[in-house]
Amino acid sequence: MSDEMLRATAEVKYADELEYLESVDDAPKPFSWRLSPKMVRLFILGSEPSDGLDREIPQKWFGDRTFVERSIVTLASDRGLLLIGDPGTGKSWLAELLSAAICRDSTLVVQGTAGTTEDHIKYSWNVSMVIAKGQTRESMIPSPIMTAMEKGAIGRFEELTRSTSDVQDALISILSEKYVSIPELDDDNIVYAKPGFSIIATANSRDKGVNDLSAALKRRFNFVRIPVVTSRRSEAEIVRFRTTELLRRHRIELDVPPTLLDILLQSFGDLRTAAASAKSDDEKLESALSTAEQIGVLEDAILHSHFFGDRTLRAQTLAGSLVGSLARRNPEDLSILNKFWHGVVEPRSKSDGGEWTDFLEGGKQAIESLS
Amino acid sequence: MSGATTTTSPFRALRDQLDAAAQAFADAPDAVSEILSGMVDDVDRALAERLEIFPVCHHSPASALAMARRLREKRPKVVYLELCEDLRDLLPELRNCRLPVALQAFASDLDGFSPGAGPLSVVAPITEASAEYQAIAYALDTPGVELVLVDRSVDHVFQWDPAYSGDPDERPAEGAGDDDGDGAAMHGGAVGIEIGDLRPRFAELEEHLLHHGKVRHWSEWWDQYVEQPLAGADYDTYRQVMVMIGSLFRRLSPARAERIAVDEDRERYMWTRIREHLAATGTDPAEGMYVCGAFHAASRVEEFGVQPRSEGFEITPRTATTWLYGLIPSSHAAIEAQFGLAGGSVSISAATWRKHVSAGGVAPFRLKGQKGTPAGKAGRNSRAAAATVGPAPVADRLSGFLASPPTMDPLDEAELLGWCVDIVRLARRNGYPASTADAIAVYETSVLLAGMRNRARPTPYDFQDAAVTCIEKDTVPGRRDVRRLCEILLGGDRIGEVGYDALPPLARDVYDRLEALGVDLKKRRVQRVLMDLREQPELEPCSRLLWRLRRLLPQGAVRPITGALGLGERSIQESWDLSIGHHQRALIELGYEGVTVEQVLEQRLRAAAWDPKAGAAAALEAVEESILLLDNRRLTDELGRRAVELLAAERAVDDAPEVLRRFRRLLGHYRATEPRLPAWCASFVTTGFAHYCTMLPTSFATEETGIRQVAAMLGFLLTLENTALALGCERTQLELAVKQSHPEEPAKVALLWAAQTRLGVLSRAELRARCAELLGNPLVVPAFPHYLSGFVQALSPVPGLAPFVVEVMSDAFARLPDRVLLPWLPMLITTLREHAREMVPVLLREAGRTFPARLPELDAWTPPWARPEGEPAVAASPAVAVPAGPLTDLLTAHPASSDAVARLLGVEPVWPAVEADVSAPAHPEAAALLERHPAPAAALAALLAAPPLGA
Repeated sequence: MSDEMLRATAEVKYADELEYLESVDDAPKPFSWRLSPKMVRLFILGSEPSDGLDREIPQKWFGDRTFVERSIVTLASDRGLLLIGDPGTGKSWLAELLSAAICRDSTLVVQGTAGTTEDHIKYSWNVSMVIAKGQTRESMIPSPIMTAMEKGAIGRFEELTRSTSDVQDALISILSEKYVSIPELDDDNIVYAKPGFSIIATANSRDKGVNDLSAALKRRFNFVRIPVVTSRRSEAEIVRFRTTELLRRHRIELDVPPTLLDILLQSFGDLRTAAASAKSDDEKLESALSTAEQIGVLEDAILHSHFFGDRTLRAQTLAGSLVGSLARRNPEDLSILNKFWHGVVEPRSKSDGGEWTDFLEGGKQAIESLS
Repeated sequence: MSGATTTTSPFRALRDQLDAAAQAFADAPDAVSEILSGMVDDVDRALAERLEIFPVCHHSPASALAMARRLREKRPKVVYLELCEDLRDLLPELRNCRLPVALQAFASDLDGFSPGAGPLSVVAPITEASAEYQAIAYALDTPGVELVLVDRSVDHVFQWDPAYSGDPDERPAEGAGDDDGDGAAMHGGAVGIEIGDLRPRFAELEEHLLHHGKVRHWSEWWDQYVEQPLAGADYDTYRQVMVMIGSLFRRLSPARAERIAVDEDRERYMWTRIREHLAATGTDPAEGMYVCGAFHAASRVEEFGVQPRSEGFEITPRTATTWLYGLIPSSHAAIEAQFGLAGGSVSISAATWRKHVSAGGVAPFRLKGQKGTPAGKAGRNSRAAAATVGPAPVADRLSGFLASPPTMDPLDEAELLGWCVDIVRLARRNGYPASTADAIAVYETSVLLAGMRNRARPTPYDFQDAAVTCIEKDTVPGRRDVRRLCEILLGGDRIGEVGYDALPPLARDVYDRLEALGVDLKKRRVQRVLMDLREQPELEPCSRLLWRLRRLLPQGAVRPITGALGLGERSIQESWDLSIGHHQRALIELGYEGVTVEQVLEQRLRAAAWDPKAGAAAALEAVEESILLLDNRRLTDELGRRAVELLAAERAVDDAPEVLRRFRRLLGHYRATEPRLPAWCASFVTTGFAHYCTMLPTSFATEETGIRQVAAMLGFLLTLENTALALGCERTQLELAVKQSHPEEPAKVALLWAAQTRLGVLSRAELRARCAELLGNPLVVPAFPHYLSGFVQALSPVPGLAPFVVEVMSDAFARLPDRVLLPWLPMLITTLREHAREMVPVLLREAGRTFPARLPELDAWTPPWARPEGEPAVAASPAVAVPAGPLTDLLTAHPASSDAVARLLGVEPVWPAVEADVSAPAHPEAAALLERHPAPAAALAALLAAPPLGA
């Protein structure tokens, strides 16, 4: 099935692994969970030889082990889980993996936007059926959250803080009383949550202050803050992992030379340092320079090399992608990149040589063509 | 002793089993097999030693518990301890302190180390929950027991460290932790030593252990995998497991590492000392106990043991450096910061120790008179060491330990519940909207987390994670986040205190002398003291001591709130914020420098003045401090002479403004308080006059010398000219120096003109004409503000020029175009702000005199310099005719003396015309009065004309 999808969900993509883990998991499982908490952790963080499994389970989310443990434990408790962090830190990916491992369904998602209404969280009506049959359970359209309640599964709420406060507060009763009443119906008018139901919400810390959570809702969520990856080693792992996945998705046979990956990581590291020391917004790039952005740059370069180049990833192409992805404002971003290329990349190409020289040239050309 | 386990060894079976496992599973079976079987050999060897080796780990309650149990059981007669041998005399003083404190050795006068390496400082912190404290308390308070420290001396610590004996550039940066939180910087920049340093020697191994142990940091790993299983273990298991871990880390440490070489030398040193002591006292090794880190227990050096294979180790002599010893307060946070432990781990260890002790499993040893609350009921130490129990026959306990999963404590529900309730209460107090529901959630989450991490009982680390998960939201409402609150809850940072008797003489002296203030100086909080020196003159010595301490202690230790001490300035009321208890370490370290505060201060002042980098300004500062704080004339004069020397030797004039400012102040002080200037002061004036005269032409010419510096030099030369001339200097020297000066910068040119005006070389009119010329020349106008800056700077050396400066400035404001004036204004304002105290009052006073005081008067006002020639000035001309009279007659009759005075004052004598009309009455008012009232005069005339009564 995964072959026919542009992007398979985690439970589809890792169906084999999940089946295998479920077959070997003999530890007690909370509620209707398909895996025990330890197995969920193992699924997300990968296995070790000491775990004594017949097959290796690769690591899927890179970050501090404690965050994963705290998240799993929260879902096993009475409270919802709120993953909070900067854009590109892997909150949604972690949420997806958790739901896939716990209930094999990561698709029960509500996307929080300014246009999200209470109907999206509870239920709405199929108007034509209401006209034909009146308000019945058949003519009701349950929201993904209500479906999760009925199935005893994990419901996800992406970008919780993008939706308005009154909409957010609809979650309070769902998380406390664990049922939704349907006053339009005369009987069978309450949907109770089955054991195993919980909610994973994500919130972008850059949206802080837009629609703040009410104290009542905060109390019903455990907050797990996911920090930006600062370890270069972890970041390299993430970029490599995600890029391999993308290549597989695009069915592209192409090697990413480790030296180019190093150049990319080093450049992002340097740009982050520069952004941290900038005094005004004009002195730093508009981009958040997240790990996800790096993956985007690499993907762009790979696709370019594959379709327009000689199917080999070259430093010039990478430099062009980097400039193209990061130069969003003209002239602010371009002038920062120009300064970066001449002040940081040029000395590095002189001292280190190798691919840096091509990277320097490619970047200069890209900046010139955009200026 | 051979590396292989003998056939009779109890560990034979285990060794074979591990060998087989290595063969079966490892990629390189030989290497793994060597390590595994080597570990068993190490354990075998350590346990077979005749002198009982007690392996310990630092800050390990399990070690402390095992130590207390073993000491009660064995009661050894000699305890050999891995601690610098020269710290021995400090140990009895521990009973006067509240732990944790650190034993400190300090040296500032180095002899035998590379130059610039000092001051050297070593600290060895001692906590109550440590095995070494148990051993010390047992040995010191049990009659007939000897405590012998066997590790290398502190001198050797640095001798063996190439960073201190070699290139100074390789030395680690000291005081790196000083910026940390309150308690973390308590050890300053000292080098830390600890007993039982047990940690993987290379990062990969530690990372591997943490990764596979599924824990975050080393302290948590140790707690889970060693501490908890060993807390209730019997002695044999404890000993074997500790040696095995020591051996593991030893065998997996990087080969050829310098650190290993030093460790091996230390082991040779310790065994040599032990053998020397055994031989000297004839003690039976079976009656002794050797307490050392587990790392050293697994030693493989040839010199290991009472009967070693080699005895060739020669102990190098100490250097000639004089070491001073003392105790300083320490804290859990300081220990964690110094030894790279996770935050809160020492506090957690202390809490674990207290829990085990209060559970009654063991009676700990405690020094008599030890301050602080005991962890549990201390056992009686005083029973003489009689029942020495030899080591039991060695049985293999390792196999059991390694084969079975760790047995954990049963879930201590009450303790966890208590934590959960308390953290919620603490969080609420710190602004979190936490409730009972949170306490329940924390409890549940802790248990779930512990289960997930293979722990039967939630550890403090699980509890901390659970509390953060359930209580911490998107913002921290107060100063402390939940993680920090958990640390506080689990024991918090404990800060030690050194008792009075254990303090150095200087610190005791300070406490004694400040007793009159009536505050408890040992308290760590800030205390306010008020002193009315007029009402309570007996507090005067306290006040003086506080001013001295303010100079010597770090900022914040003693802080004056009101009251000042300056030259000619002494408050009669003072209030101080004292926080000496908080800065006890600084006070104790001051004690290493001298016996009294005054002695230390004198040394510091001398050091400041004789510093190779010191200039005349630094020496003058020392002079001023000596006058203010020490009242020691001999020292003041000595420092003054040093200032003269330094001034004469100066080749740059960068410090000239500072020198001038300080010297003027000192001169004012001496003129006000003493009949004549001290000799050094006179010498300073003459030396300075000659020195600055010599430097003046170059300073005017070179671009490097700033305008301020030149102005200060001129200030010295012109304002102290009279004093200098009176002391025998020649004015011509100054005149020549000015004549030789040919500045090019406009500001300096203006300064030179000002000096020339002051010396009479340039008249005011000429100066005015030059300025008018500058303003009239459109090519020079843009540079005019620079000239003006020069004139502003000239206010200090030539205060008489103030009216002219006001005139030029007013002219400039009136005539300069905005494009020239406006860019210059900020510079003028910053210059004036910088010299607000010297220049602004002069300028304002003069401006007030020149400009009209009220707005309406401004319309009719003409500036004095704009009045046409010949118009009479506001003041009466001195040459106006004066009426004749007896005084006028006298002066005109004898003009010579008045002329002489006038010439002396530099004024050409001009005699006013005397009104020639002799017929007119000399005093018309008197004549008019007499005309109106003639009666009294007529009566008087009649009286005078009448014949005498008697005639």
